[in-house]
Amino acid sequence: MIGELSETRYWMYLLLLPSLLLITAVVLYPTIYGIQMSFREMRLNRPDLGTGFVGLKHYQRMLNDPIFWLSLRNTAVWVTFAIILEFLIGLIAALALHRNLPGSRIFAVMILLPFFLPNVVAGHMWSLMLDPRLGVINDLLLKAGLIDSYRAWFADPATAMAAAILVEAWKSFPFFTLLILAGLKGIPTDLYKAASIDGAGPVAQLRLITLPMIKTIIAAAVILRVIGLVNSPDLLLVLTSGGPGRSTMVLSLFAFQTAYRDFNFGYASALSVVMFILLMIFAWIYIRLSRINQE
Amino acid sequence: MPRSRLWDLLTYAVLVILSAVCILPILWTLLTSLKYEADIVTREMIYWPTRITFDHYVTLWNQSNYPVLVVNSLVVTTVTVAICLVTGTVASYAFARFRFPGRMPLMMGYLVVRMFPAVMMIIPLFVVMRQVGLLDSRVGLAIAYTSFLLPLFVWMMKGFFDAAPKELESAARIDGSTRLGAMVRIVMPIARNGVLATCIFVAIAAWNEFLFALMLTTSQGSRTWPVGLQLMVGEFQLPWGMLAAGGIISILPVIVLFALIQRAMVAGIAAGAVKG
Amino acid sequence: MATLELQGIRKSFGALEVLSSVDLELEDGGFLVLLGPSGCGKSTLLSIIAGLEEASAGDILVGGRRVNEVFPKDRNIAMVFQSYALYPTMDVARNIGFGLEMRKVPGPERVEKVRAAADLLQIGHLLDRKPAQLSGGQRQRVAMGRAIVRDPDLFLFDEPLSNLDAKLRVQMRTEIKRLHDRLGTTVVYVTHDQVEAMTLGTKVAVMKEGVIQQLADPQTIYDRPANMFVAGFIGSPAMNFLDGTVETEGGPALVLTGDGQRVALDRAPAGQGARVIAGIRPEHFTLGEGSPVRLTGRIEVLEPTGPDTMVVLSVAGREITARLPPRIGLAPGAMIDLGVDRSAITFFNPETGTAL
Repeated sequence: MIGELSETRYWMYLLLLPSLLLITAVVLYPTIYGIQMSFREMRLNRPDLGTGFVGLKHYQRMLNDPIFWLSLRNTAVWVTFAIILEFLIGLIAALALHRNLPGSRIFAVMILLPFFLPNVVAGHMWSLMLDPRLGVINDLLLKAGLIDSYRAWFADPATAMAAAILVEAWKSFPFFTLLILAGLKGIPTDLYKAASIDGAGPVAQLRLITLPMIKTIIAAAVILRVIGLVNSPDLLLVLTSGGPGRSTMVLSLFAFQTAYRDFNFGYASALSVVMFILLMIFAWIYIRLSRINQE
Repeated sequence: MPRSRLWDLLTYAVLVILSAVCILPILWTLLTSLKYEADIVTREMIYWPTRITFDHYVTLWNQSNYPVLVVNSLVVTTVTVAICLVTGTVASYAFARFRFPGRMPLMMGYLVVRMFPAVMMIIPLFVVMRQVGLLDSRVGLAIAYTSFLLPLFVWMMKGFFDAAPKELESAARIDGSTRLGAMVRIVMPIARNGVLATCIFVAIAAWNEFLFALMLTTSQGSRTWPVGLQLMVGEFQLPWGMLAAGGIISILPVIVLFALIQRAMVAGIAAGAVKG
Repeated sequence: MATLELQGIRKSFGALEVLSSVDLELEDGGFLVLLGPSGCGKSTLLSIIAGLEEASAGDILVGGRRVNEVFPKDRNIAMVFQSYALYPTMDVARNIGFGLEMRKVPGPERVEKVRAAADLLQIGHLLDRKPAQLSGGQRQRVAMGRAIVRDPDLFLFDEPLSNLDAKLRVQMRTEIKRLHDRLGTTVVYVTHDQVEAMTLGTKVAVMKEGVIQQLADPQTIYDRPANMFVAGFIGSPAMNFLDGTVETEGGPALVLTGDGQRVALDRAPAGQGARVIAGIRPEHFTLGEGSPVRLTGRIEVLEPTGPDTMVVLSVAGREITARLPPRIGLAPGAMIDLGVDRSAITFFNPETGTAL
């Protein structure tokens, strides 16, 4: 009987088995397959080329591919500015919600909502609002005298990236709010009482108590968001498809389109492997640094 | 105390502004979906329409394949949640309750999997799924979703199991229950809200997912609504009103579910992320 | 009801050994207290008896039967946890009856037994409440009800009183003693509170770092501690330790290291010139000239407790505490002479800490 089995010392392995099998099938095997694919020729639209082993060909091509370098640079801009914005707005929202004034729960639902919306819908909402002819934001900015004519935000290489980052920040800042809020709940209120008796004002309390106490949680949130921002091209795919003129082309989007549009699976795999390695290196350095800071 | 009054005021100002920024795009989309096309495409922006219509919804529902897309999404979401629930609950229980050789590496493994770029998974999954005949199938897509949702489920659920005291199982086992019995009879009822919150979180993620679906589905029979909607925009120059209507229909269940179980879900996400 | 026997129980987590070769025997109906500071392995030992953890080596015998491979559900034991571990989703009646339910005891019989156990513990009126609606003391009673309802071979208690406030703790302690007298079930009771150990146990095992330091009845442990650890752990305020050298010439005496004070003894605990540590409990000091054995010290602090006054004084560079009568009219800074009940002095080997 399973009941009796559950009393044996192998029970936990039995509990883990189904998920391990599944993870092996849908993560481990494909990953190894994908890494292996990055050393092979694999173009779905050119079966004549076969699927032979081509060594480092894709990686060599990458080094000389200006789009790769541009995407890399764009990814850095995209991630850096999105993270800064999301963190700042997220922190402010969390601090405000944490004061637990009457009505906070309703505000929390509204403020956290964007994070749970689908990228496709979030993207189109903002396309609608930023539309060059019908966009309400153009109208508002014009009426406020901030611009003198309607702008095509996503069609202008000068503004496309910034606009996309704003949309991304709108959608994902609640993640920071959510985590920081959880961190704030863990700070004993006695600390604040003690600090205010010692004469520390709200700003000093924020700097001396709040931020140091939630440092770890912020570090965790940043790393998770960096992973998310680097890995998922969804929003950019909906908003700009990397345009205009590749001004919003990021690595993940480049890799996806290489596979989805050009059917060049070998090169796309090589791109994603490089992306993954860069991400791992970043994560490793980041964790190292944030640990050192703790001591 | 005038000073704390001032801070309260400032807090409310921040909350109102942020809520407005978060909600107004959704409300504007809702409003657009209810406007006549003539009131959307105008020279002078109409902020508050004098007349509303449900035509966009009716047209979208009757004259496009949107219902099929929604049904496909429902199937994919349900299957994803089911797989995660069955395999993930027991796995997270094992992680939460037992100390055994290999526990830390395995848990880290489940965490690192989250770092894998979607693209890196999608390409080989495409090839593998094609080989085993699961490409362009709803079950195949659901299985693909578990690659990133199952680890998430396990970590989130582990937090909820951690919150249920260990002594309860010890007590139940001494009272004559097996470990399995203790899990089913004692721990699961306590963690019920956690299970629900985790399932809803996974359901929302599966419902919203776009990239995997775009790559792994190719036909009507299995395409989900995000892909369908996106393709409609590209292929048919979907009018704004209908696009807005499609968006509203699709996010309605998300908003309802989120509002219902917001607190438990938020706690679970935070716990899963922080411990990770 | 049954006897309990542990033979060579060992437990290690990886390289960390938490229990090293524990042997003990407990007679049927006995009340064994496992006493020690946190981390001494007492709770692990209890878990091993319960079957919640596996011993790395050794045998557990309940009623003469080896139960190493018996699952906890089949060991016929009952346990009361520090956190009570009441099932939050079930009401009190079902909590108490859960063990019977698992053992497929028919409904009516179950109701009757639950009722009887609840009445015994005076919680009959709480049966349809949920644990969350109970006070700490009531939860404690429910946890005990859950244990006694099954009429087990062995009761295990894991620090059952440490979550209660001081007054309730004393009350429940009496209650547990009364229950044991009445039911006569064999009990193993884990605690770090020496008062609980002294009042409840028919046998006390003092543990430290996974080793039983002394296993004896409470009075023996108090009067004749096996080593300095046991001596210092039992008794409050703790036993005083003074370093000295034994002299046999001119009548046995102890010369205190530090100030050279000479304390006459009735017999020499060791040979001439041997270094020893003398352990004297606070209540073995008396004020005044009546005793031939004297210690002189300077008063540091006075702590009146009502019935007694604890006098902290410095003797030969050591701080010692004496329990003296109230209203003695002394002041800090004064030098006083204390009489010592020399028959009650315990001597220890300074190297090993064991009693001589």
